[in-house]
Amino acid sequence: MRTHYTEIELDALRELANIGAGTAATSLSMLLGMPIDVTVPTAAALPLADAIDATGPAELCVTGVAIPLDGDLTATALMLFPEEDVATLCDLLGLETDSEYAASALGEVVNILCASYLGALGDTTGMTIGLGPPEQVVDMLGAIVGSILAISAGAGDVALMLDSTLIIEGRSCALSFLLIPSAAGIDGLLGQLGLG
Amino acid sequence: MGDISVRMGELVASADPAAVLVSIGLGSCIGLALVDAGAGVAGLAHIMLPGPGDPDGRPPGTFADSGVPALLHEVKALGAQRLSAVIVGGAQMFGAGGASDAHVGARNEDAVRAALRAANIAVVAADTGGASGRTIRVRVGDALVTARIAGGSEMALFGRMAVVA
Repeated sequence: MRTHYTEIELDALRELANIGAGTAATSLSMLLGMPIDVTVPTAAALPLADAIDATGPAELCVTGVAIPLDGDLTATALMLFPEEDVATLCDLLGLETDSEYAASALGEVVNILCASYLGALGDTTGMTIGLGPPEQVVDMLGAIVGSILAISAGAGDVALMLDSTLIIEGRSCALSFLLIPSAAGIDGLLGQLGLG
Repeated sequence: MGDISVRMGELVASADPAAVLVSIGLGSCIGLALVDAGAGVAGLAHIMLPGPGDPDGRPPGTFADSGVPALLHEVKALGAQRLSAVIVGGAQMFGAGGASDAHVGARNEDAVRAALRAANIAVVAADTGGASGRTIRVRVGDALVTARIAGGSEMALFGRMAVVA
């Protein structure tokens, strides 16, 4: 079981996240007709409890959309939306926040972002990555991230998360896109980059 | 004194009457409180997986099979003798076949209950299962254990009065 990743390995994973998030930002920009900025992604291997803290306050109520990945990469893609960001996104999509369409539209946005992100990741690494159906919950951030870590990273003692933020220009809306690979998934990614 | 946060995989025991032990945002994880109101001792473990697993190099409360005995050891070291258990959490946050499935929540609860049975400790109250995350709070001074779901109000599960009765 790997517990440490070198700076070179983390840099390589960051670059992958950069390529993925850049492509996802282009898709989101086309969908919303607005410019989207991407922050430099973070990649860190943290003890599981610290990994939860790194995503935000555990008691914060957020909407989480999770997409299980399979194929050559076992991982979970997770997007977390604080309540005000859900409202902003719905507004930009011309939907009422509480309408029955809002939840499915949010799922669809995440689907599109995931497909672009992972398509770029697959093209770069030569991996075939399958996307499962998105699942959406509204709950405490700690409960959402903890439940996913228990499955995705549970076998390891550290969690590796690639965190990218997409910023909708002119609106204070920052979408956090997390990729949480299983231990085997990380080794697979590094192997494809010649660092395994 | 402020709340003492017991994060995923961690466990804390205390005999400080002013201490409040808290695990925020339990999803599939289990918050296990062991209290001895008479001795003024309580402990809280934030258990992540049923086990079996090698706890080496990991927080001691990571697995149910090793975390329950570890918490028991800690509270007994502080003088606890007549222990009652309260369990909170073990939800299934995502639906069947989804990202976080595999029924970890239910398997966590089963494993914690099995470990408590093996140690002859009764579960006197529980708020488990369902699809919502919870926060557990343990007030050491009066052995009050509460649970709260996201957006909900705090609910008392156990307290000193229950022991007297």
